[in-house]
Amino acid sequence: MQSINSIKSTYIKELLNNGVRSGRGLFDYRNISVLRDIIPNAEGSAQVDLGATKVLVGVKLDIDEPMPDKPNEGNIITSAELLPLASADFDTGPPSPEAIELARVVDRGIRAANIIDTSSLFIEEGKVWSVFIDIYIMNYDGNLFDASTLASVAALTKTRMPKYEDGNVIREGKLEKLKVNNIVTSCTYAKVGKTIMLDPDGDEESVMGARLTIANDETYIRAMQKGLSGSFKEHEINNLIETSFEKSKDLRSIINKLNSD
Amino acid sequence: MEIVVPGDMILDKPIHMENTFIEDNKTYAAVLGIFDNEKKVLIPLEGLWYPKHGELVVGIIIEERLNSYVVDLNAPYKGILVAKYVRDKLSVGDIIEATVKELDETKTVVLMRERKLYGGKIIDVKPSKVPRIIGRNNTMIKQLTEGTKSTIIVGMNGRIWIKGGDVALTTEAILRIQEEAHTSGLTDRIREMLEKSKKAE
Amino acid sequence: MNSQEKPKLIIDGKRLDGRRFDELRPIKIEAGVLKNADGSAYLEWGKNKIFAAVYGPREALPKHTADPEKAVIKCRYSMAPFSSLEEHGRSGPNRRAIEISKVTKEVFENVIVGENFPGTEINIFIEVVQSDGGTRAAGITAAAVALATSGIPMRDLPYAVSAGKIGDQIVIDLNKIEDNYSDADVPIAVSPRTGEILLLQMDGSLTKDEFKEVIAKVKKAGQIISKAQRDALKAPYESISNKYK
Repeated sequence: MQSINSIKSTYIKELLNNGVRSGRGLFDYRNISVLRDIIPNAEGSAQVDLGATKVLVGVKLDIDEPMPDKPNEGNIITSAELLPLASADFDTGPPSPEAIELARVVDRGIRAANIIDTSSLFIEEGKVWSVFIDIYIMNYDGNLFDASTLASVAALTKTRMPKYEDGNVIREGKLEKLKVNNIVTSCTYAKVGKTIMLDPDGDEESVMGARLTIANDETYIRAMQKGLSGSFKEHEINNLIETSFEKSKDLRSIINKLNSD
Repeated sequence: MEIVVPGDMILDKPIHMENTFIEDNKTYAAVLGIFDNEKKVLIPLEGLWYPKHGELVVGIIIEERLNSYVVDLNAPYKGILVAKYVRDKLSVGDIIEATVKELDETKTVVLMRERKLYGGKIIDVKPSKVPRIIGRNNTMIKQLTEGTKSTIIVGMNGRIWIKGGDVALTTEAILRIQEEAHTSGLTDRIREMLEKSKKAE
Repeated sequence: MNSQEKPKLIIDGKRLDGRRFDELRPIKIEAGVLKNADGSAYLEWGKNKIFAAVYGPREALPKHTADPEKAVIKCRYSMAPFSSLEEHGRSGPNRRAIEISKVTKEVFENVIVGENFPGTEINIFIEVVQSDGGTRAAGITAAAVALATSGIPMRDLPYAVSAGKIGDQIVIDLNKIEDNYSDADVPIAVSPRTGEILLLQMDGSLTKDEFKEVIAKVKKAGQIISKAQRDALKAPYESISNKYK
């Protein structure tokens, strides 16, 4: 049964298929705002508003055991919750496949781009820092991927490293910053009919046939994820990679501006 | 006129009004609203739609049953159309306008006199803002229709169908009316907005 | 707990954060912050940061949970894993969160005019994104505002606050450290119109008279909390009105 949202969006489906997008260009982002350190209790945090999509990311560090195959490295654990308050279509209960996909894709971008040097998380034998990145979706209006990646990286760029002294974790006082080596951002595209567009909103996502997320830094593509049951042609993907390198400049400058303010 | 919140006493005597309740012979607000002491009515700033016989609604067919169609009205209760009285053949996904006949025992909204609406766009607004979108003596809706050349059907359930003309402008105007519904001078500001847009063409 | 380990919560007649015994932490509320929800509010209460949202009334599902006489009220109180000053919390509701969800639901079952909506459910979501004691009270206070913005009819706008006792002193609005080491902790929700108590929990030791003092102090503080709720509800209308005066 078609959802109400997709029935309501039938109107834009035809327009989009003909390349007509109301209110912005096919490759324009909606209004983006980023606030860091909004949850001082967490070691790092950020809120991203992308149009009406609202995402909160909290970063916490805890003492943990290293993974058996990487005894000198710390851990990065990324989770996402599509909170039921974010949309009438989100339910309570364990993370859905959508939430898990979101977390894993954001995680891949961060890991592949070496945002955090995991060997810098080593404390002593058998003890490392685990960096918990929790993505909390507060309001859904499409493109959770780009908003979540942006919020996660923004949060990481101003994360405090707790101190480990005499068996105690000290989270207050003068602390070092978590060393961030790189910036990664993602660009997510939706395909409606034959038209491809950047940053789909909720209505557009309800009629899209396929989705492609490309995470990149200045030099490399770091992660990609194609979603939904439709398909992309090879030349379409190549074009979108070009577009991503172009568009990501604006996203990176948003993060860099936060650091210089 | 003061804004009242749920639980505020609005009358020292019991008078039955929508969005209020009576306790100890006094009338209280049940929703956020503005009390009009002259007309003795609580104007809800935030309120739900309580279907009444004869009201026009806009809905979406979401289910086809043996003898009826279930209609989504963007409301706590669904609508229902009895198949044998239906004019055209309907399918799931169709948009219709219809009239409220009555509420059955389960509060399902029994609809009649449906008409299928082809194409067009649906926007959902808060039902409490519908009176302002229509305007006193239909002034606002007439102004919108003339200024945008769109066909606009406003359901009392807050669901609005727009077709033809400048759909984007119509949408923007309606959302703005919703935002500023309780202020004065709104009709003039909307007229200015529509005229400005015409000049821009 | 060894009383030698207990930190002093009152020094020179003042609380650790400088407040008087009957003084609330600063409260700031913003209504209608989440676009999809039928009603919503964001609340800051001291360091607490909470989002509340309401969906409904909508069809009660699964069908067997529906009540043919009135709306079923459901509530989910949850704390984000990054909300505390301590370690990363575990995901998913723990037993404490489940209990708070239940008693919060019971506050609103008192005031929502559910008889208007038989067969439906009303969902209240409370997400604590930063916590510093008194989150259940803050959550209830925020949820009341969220419900009012949804247009769901209510008989009152409840507020809540945690009172407590430190030594012999009754105090209002315990923060986290006071909550941990106080001699009594009493979260209370009140229906301001009638003065009725909609939520009452208590843990510690209180005499009868101390309890009476608690209620009196709660109701006095409640005037400030109620005003913060009202101001939040009126603010969007006042700012737009002012723009076009």
